[in-house]
Amino acid sequence: MAGPSKLRARIKFVFWTAMSVICVGIVVRSHVTGQMASWYYYTAALDGYAVNAKAFMHATAESPAFLEIGPFSRLDGLQAVRVGKGDRLPANANGIIPVEVLEAGKRASLVGDQIRVTIPWQMQEAKGFKYKDSFMHKGIQTNPWAAVWNVVMVIAIGLSLGFMAEGLTDALGMRFEKISHFQGH
Amino acid sequence: MFTFPIAGIDAPILLLVLVGLTVGIVGGFIGVGGGYMVTPALIVFGFPGYMASGIDMTHIAGKGVVSTIRHRQLGNIDWTLALSMVAGTMLGVELGVRLLVYFKTLGISTVVLLITSVVVMFVLFLYTQIETRRAHIKLKEMSRDGVEMGRELQTSNLPRFFQNIPLAPIMRCRTARVVVSMWVVVAVGVVTGALAGFLGVGGGFIRVPALVYLVGASTHIAVGTDLVEIVFSGGYGALRHSMEGHVDMVAVLFMISGAMLGAQLGSIATSFVRGPAIRYILSYSLVLATCGAVLRLLYVLTGQSVEILSLFAVMLTLGEMIFLCLFILSLVMFAQRHRKGKWVPDWVPPLVMAQKRS
Repeated sequence: MAGPSKLRARIKFVFWTAMSVICVGIVVRSHVTGQMASWYYYTAALDGYAVNAKAFMHATAESPAFLEIGPFSRLDGLQAVRVGKGDRLPANANGIIPVEVLEAGKRASLVGDQIRVTIPWQMQEAKGFKYKDSFMHKGIQTNPWAAVWNVVMVIAIGLSLGFMAEGLTDALGMRFEKISHFQGH
Repeated sequence: MFTFPIAGIDAPILLLVLVGLTVGIVGGFIGVGGGYMVTPALIVFGFPGYMASGIDMTHIAGKGVVSTIRHRQLGNIDWTLALSMVAGTMLGVELGVRLLVYFKTLGISTVVLLITSVVVMFVLFLYTQIETRRAHIKLKEMSRDGVEMGRELQTSNLPRFFQNIPLAPIMRCRTARVVVSMWVVVAVGVVTGALAGFLGVGGGFIRVPALVYLVGASTHIAVGTDLVEIVFSGGYGALRHSMEGHVDMVAVLFMISGAMLGAQLGSIATSFVRGPAIRYILSYSLVLATCGAVLRLLYVLTGQSVEILSLFAVMLTLGEMIFLCLFILSLVMFAQRHRKGKWVPDWVPPLVMAQKRS
């Protein structure tokens, strides 16, 4: 083998495989425990009602969804919590119905102590492509540390997977020497 | 199907892994992030537009690290060149983003964006294609005359002009064997970064030709060096998108798992070919991306009423990924056959390395 010994290559492979498993495990764990979602849907960026937009995705003008407004600490289905800008969102909330939308009354409106949703999503365009735009993700503010965590994790995963692959090819005896850029063959 | 709680959609895991794999092969080979291919694919899978860009940018940062590690092993990175460009690239990206915001306030960002994309990509395609064809012909002649062929051959006179600019400090890039004013490198970083920031892409498809034709680096070193830039610009983009909440890390994880394998294949494939082969693939990717952007521009200009234009744009983008992957893999296969003395098409020998040892 051209570079390091096979034993060194095996140690490198095992070490970086373990690092990869740890990094991927951290991401999966934060997904499974709901920690990731709670970082994303952290605070309200505007005044409105915190909702779980997935709960009323199938509502239509003919069959509207009615959300019960209350001081819930966790949203279970068709529920909504009044929030102001900067307020911490309740658990399971993944979007805000802004006050302006309710006042306009086109997509959703206040009916007594309930919110009536008739247009839960609409088609939008980005970079020349159409996509389904819903209340999900609207008006939410992510925890700034989640952004740093994302970048650190993605670099750590890249590093560990990259060195793991290098260790694997070295251990298998595949020769990847430096290219001689300025010599002919 | 897998439910992504952050993105709020159900999407097929296998397709995400496959997109990561294909764009990893292409990115590792020509030194691009592949944002212009991945974002439309994610939108097709149901991810909202803003989230598609965020997921794409974050996966590009991770994939960039994987590719960089392999290109480092192959000696394709000039660290002096890469680190000198980083500051300029970051400044450029910020300028580009601010320019985009300005156009958004004028209400014409989409049209301006698409027209700029089309013009930049078409000009780059034209120049790269003409120059590479010239180099290919020259390599064919050398092959016929039995002259020893190098790993690299490029016929442009532009690098000589830029390397002769006598502005101190002068940099000596040992791996790339380039002596050039630091200001040229910084300016290349700023201009390519500004275009990347404005177009909302990583900018590899602009930076690789710039490193080859302006700085004078060999194509392999341009690819490896650009991937270092992509780690920085991708990481910065990932941070900005994450702060806006536009990133679903679970989707990123699936894409990186495919991209890891793809990036290895793409990076290792560069050791089988000469510089012009990489530039050919780059130019084809540019022309296909131009066609996609033209279709999207027509779609926007027709008031988004002709749905078939949008459909064709998506199909072209997805087809492009598959076409480029097959092209790269077939080049490697032909290189292997050529080394064993088996039959290969006439156009192949000047583009691939004849001997196993690089």
